[in-house]
Amino acid sequence: MSHTLRTATATTVVAVLSVFALLPFYIMVVMGTYQNEDLFKGIVLLPSTYLLENLKTVAASRFDLVYMNSLIVSAASTVLSVFVSAFAGFAFAKHEFKYKNKIFTAVLLTMMIPGQLGLVAYVIEMRFIGLTGTLLPLILPWVANAFGIYWMTQYIRSAVPTEVLESARIDGCSDIAVFFRIVMAFIYPAITTLSLLVFLWSWNNYLLPLIVINKPELFTIPLGITSLGTAYRTDLAAQILGLTIGTLPVLILFALGSKSFIRGLTAGSVKG
Amino acid sequence: MDAIKRKWVPYFFLSPYVLFYLVFGLIPILFSLYVSFTSWDGIRSKTFVGLDNYRFLFNPDSYFFKSVGNTLLFVVITLPLQLLFGLLIASLLYSRWVKWKSFFQLINFLPYIVTPVAVGLIFNLLFDWQAGFVNKLLLHFGLIQEGIYWLGTPGYARMVIVVMLFWKGFGYTMIFYLAGLANIPKDLLEAAQVDGATGWRVLRSITLPLLKPVTVFLVITGIIGGFQLLEEPMLLLGGAGMGSSVAIIGGPDRCCLTTVWNMYDTAFGSTTRYGLGAAIAYGLCVVIAVFSLIGTRFYKGEQE
Repeated sequence: MSHTLRTATATTVVAVLSVFALLPFYIMVVMGTYQNEDLFKGIVLLPSTYLLENLKTVAASRFDLVYMNSLIVSAASTVLSVFVSAFAGFAFAKHEFKYKNKIFTAVLLTMMIPGQLGLVAYVIEMRFIGLTGTLLPLILPWVANAFGIYWMTQYIRSAVPTEVLESARIDGCSDIAVFFRIVMAFIYPAITTLSLLVFLWSWNNYLLPLIVINKPELFTIPLGITSLGTAYRTDLAAQILGLTIGTLPVLILFALGSKSFIRGLTAGSVKG
Repeated sequence: MDAIKRKWVPYFFLSPYVLFYLVFGLIPILFSLYVSFTSWDGIRSKTFVGLDNYRFLFNPDSYFFKSVGNTLLFVVITLPLQLLFGLLIASLLYSRWVKWKSFFQLINFLPYIVTPVAVGLIFNLLFDWQAGFVNKLLLHFGLIQEGIYWLGTPGYARMVIVVMLFWKGFGYTMIFYLAGLANIPKDLLEAAQVDGATGWRVLRSITLPLLKPVTVFLVITGIIGGFQLLEEPMLLLGGAGMGSSVAIIGGPDRCCLTTVWNMYDTAFGSTTRYGLGAAIAYGLCVVIAVFSLIGTRFYKGEQE
């Protein structure tokens, strides 16, 4: 096969799959610019002119509050999860202690347990402690994250040179200072990758808020959108616009961070 | 003095995880096990019923095995497709034949980013009987005479879910394969080419074996993730969209009822049977454990 032919074939295959990947998303974006009634008349392919009106409908549904809730939940989950994971990863990767390997295996085993296993009792626990009127039930399950620990342990083991840690300690650096000044500096690609994933997972989480949250003031975006669907049952276009706006933050985060995301993956766990 | 202090350092770094896992992970899991032996609606007092809930899982009325079967069907069909196309597009993007690498990369990863709730709703609209894009397109080109009732017919509804899950997932496998490909030493591939190995031969003898850890990781996480499927089919078939969609639990004939959807509906949806819901969760855990065991056996057997 000649060089041009190969380039053409490969590009075509990639382009076809990309169109397939993009089409439903594109239709979603375009539908948000239509007046609800026009949505069902023909094949929706080009944007219409009703975007501002739909935006007003969305804004009237206290979408800003829902948006803020999602931001708080995802940001808090991400920060806590990354710190706790990096802490534990540091212990597993650069310290010796009793039963270390057994504890690490136990952590990995918890990764195999589906998150829904304790769900029924978790809801009861939240009611019992009296947290159902807050956003905390949506944050707490992300903090102890076995996937994050596995990730951080692998990364710290290979990316942080032990000699640097030793010499810092000889210079009189405390262990906490060693972690924040030295370890953190070496592992920021792993932090980026893990942050993006945890933020995405908690941003998109639907089941947990559906079960635990009972006040509309505490709704997050996935829940807010579906309840928008029952309140404005006929105004589907506004609902779709809400979905599109809800996707924007993660889209921007991944567009900005995709390079370091891949770099983190490459250097991280998939070495096997 | 210093040595004693140093001994506590790893435990200090480990303690936040252990604390949070015990309180918000392990305690609910153990308490759920206890709840699964009771009959309870969360309000009145619990009555201990022994293994009754687990016995009921074998009763067709619980839809437990039906939902496990549905979920398994979705995993078995979509996972190989995702792996195959993820690998295909990753190797094309990694080759020197395609330009605008990071642009294509982001576009194909986009479906994975979109909220599952949105995914369910979009496909609900696309495959709507009257107003859906797919039916209109097929009618426009004269491929069908009248609209297909996609979401109201069991076979078609399952097909839509497979398409939807494939659409959502192949970009995710692509990203991991891209990372895996970047870890294969370049000189190894060059040496093979110097020795006259063809593209197909290089793929079979070098690329695929070296990508095996990635594939194993994707298969295991794919099975675990696949068994947790809930939002997409629930929003696709739950009637959250327009009027013509079917608002039945699990779709027509419960053909698309997944195990977690079944658990949700039992404990927090149509009924509030917490005990049975917890038993479904533990039943699912056993099923996943069995499949992981078979998977590891299979993997080990292949290595020998």
